[in-house]
Amino acid sequence: MAKIEIKNLRAEYVEKLDRFVALDDVSLDINEGEFVSIIGSSGCGKSTLLSILQGLNFPAGGSVTIDGKPITGTGRDRGVVFQHYSLFPWMNARNNIAFGVKQVRRGLKRRERYEVADAFLERVGLSEFTRKYPHQLSGGMQQRVAIARALAMDTDILLMDEPFGAIDAKNRTIMQELLLKLWDGEERRKTVVFVTHDIDEAIFLSDKIVMLSNSPGTVVKEIDVPFARPRDHAELVQTEGYFKLRNEMMSLLFSSVGDRIGGTEVVI
Amino acid sequence: MARLRRLLTVSNLLFIALLLLRLIPDRALRVQDHFEYTTYFAIALEAVMLAVTLTTKNDRIRHVFTDVIGFLFAFLCAWTLATAKFKVLNEAVFPPPGAVFQAMAVDVKVMFANIGSSLVLVFRGYVLALVIAIPLGLFLGWNVRVGSAAGYISKFLASISPIVYIPYFIVLLPTFRSASVAVMFMAAFWPTLASTMSGVLGVEKRILDSAKTLGVGHGTMLFRVVLPAALPQIFIGCNQGLSVSFILLTSAEMIGARSGMGYYVNNYANFGNYTRALAGVFVIGIVVTVITFFFNILQRWLLRWKR
Ligand SMILES: Nc1ncnc2c1ncn2[C@@H]1O[C@H](COP(=O)(O)OP(=O)(O)O)[C@@H](O)[C@H]1O
Ligand SMILES: [Mg+2]
Repeated sequence: MAKIEIKNLRAEYVEKLDRFVALDDVSLDINEGEFVSIIGSSGCGKSTLLSILQGLNFPAGGSVTIDGKPITGTGRDRGVVFQHYSLFPWMNARNNIAFGVKQVRRGLKRRERYEVADAFLERVGLSEFTRKYPHQLSGGMQQRVAIARALAMDTDILLMDEPFGAIDAKNRTIMQELLLKLWDGEERRKTVVFVTHDIDEAIFLSDKIVMLSNSPGTVVKEIDVPFARPRDHAELVQTEGYFKLRNEMMSLLFSSVGDRIGGTEVVI
Repeated sequence: MARLRRLLTVSNLLFIALLLLRLIPDRALRVQDHFEYTTYFAIALEAVMLAVTLTTKNDRIRHVFTDVIGFLFAFLCAWTLATAKFKVLNEAVFPPPGAVFQAMAVDVKVMFANIGSSLVLVFRGYVLALVIAIPLGLFLGWNVRVGSAAGYISKFLASISPIVYIPYFIVLLPTFRSASVAVMFMAAFWPTLASTMSGVLGVEKRILDSAKTLGVGHGTMLFRVVLPAALPQIFIGCNQGLSVSFILLTSAEMIGARSGMGYYVNNYANFGNYTRALAGVFVIGIVVTVITFFFNILQRWLLRWKR
């Protein structure tokens, strides 16, 4: 049995009398300890899929199970990082993390929660910023704190929705390497579902890439990424097959979009 | 040199102008001016202004102090000229400023006792209002259906002046004093309740989603997430409630009170002693300014996480 099993999933948004189908017939298995990226052009339903896994939205058809049990709502087995606003603006960095830890690990004392928070802030390189409020941190630093919180909560599953989408190119590569290092470094690797619209990011991070097509979103292809870990950017581009995979994905992404809109150029 | 040039301000010129008014002879009035008290007051203000001008590097603070105090000097000049010097205003209701300051000085002990009594009154009503309105507002706002009905009802009730309720309070409540507290309560309750509810309804969905994904319980959600997220909005109501409370202080102390600043003003105004009534109004103004100042500091500290 896979960790997360999605079968014939259908998702709809109902507004007044309109019914908009965001996802249709999505089927997908995600194994324990696997790093899976969901890729597709914007508006294809990536966030919708993730929000169902988060338990913030519910299927209109089909089923989604974790460890064989249907999702009934948000849960303490899943850590989440959004693109923006994962953190609470009125808590400083360490309080944000300690607050998250408190929700999942009831047994810990206050002092122990702060120790956990400080340890994880150190791991994401923010030891000197523990008492800064989110608005005093750059976008990249905020995401580091959000990732630190998700990791500190030590959940089985990590759900990330374009966490690096608003970060500049240079910091983005740094963040990707940091994320991989942290994920790789755990005794028991977490199951990660990572949403992105960046092909290089998906290849660099994932064991498996799931490509979605546009409205309604459905799985176009599942691609296994064969490259050995640990990975680093400079080495990866030298690796045989990297550009072949990249080009293949590029054309898939364009054709799945192009089919529906008649082949005109699209900004992804 | 730069510091000296800083001293050449309109405010300082007005200060000198005020002192020079001494050279104009006083007219005969029912209430004689005591210009020396105006002078003491002006010198105290000038000292504060000089201290601030010469020490702070913060331009904004310096400008606020200079402008406010300059305005006061201009006001005192005009007031002295219009009363003691040229008798333009009706002397029955417009005593000269020096007389008012003298009354303040003579009555200083009485004033302090009255300020204490009023503050206890305002404080009881205000704290009671916040302690009830904020949790209630959180609860009502969080239950969207109840909240929107409650929103209309509280807007309707907020539009009624608490003075209207005074006869009912007197009938229903055991003492006059508690009726006065009830007026203070009403003044702060509705604005705080309304702003808390609208604050809760305005909390960003993304913040709530983030909290849900952490798996927070109901209590934590309400008091550690919704409350702080709505706090900037809640403070708008609290501020409004505080000013309305002080505005209604004189009305609240009309109900059988024998002490308090409102009572002091009412009492002397009823007997036509406008010198003392105005002294009381002045002192209320100063007290309100000081309290608002500290309230703003508290607010800025609690909202220090906002950019
Ligand atoms: N709350 C909503 N109400 C109505 N339509 C929505 C809502 N959220 C998303 N959609 C629509 O569903 C589609 C998929 O959205 P989303 O999952 O956010 O896409 P992605 O994350 O891939 O950019 C889009 O067409 C979007 O307009
Ligand atoms: Mg999205």
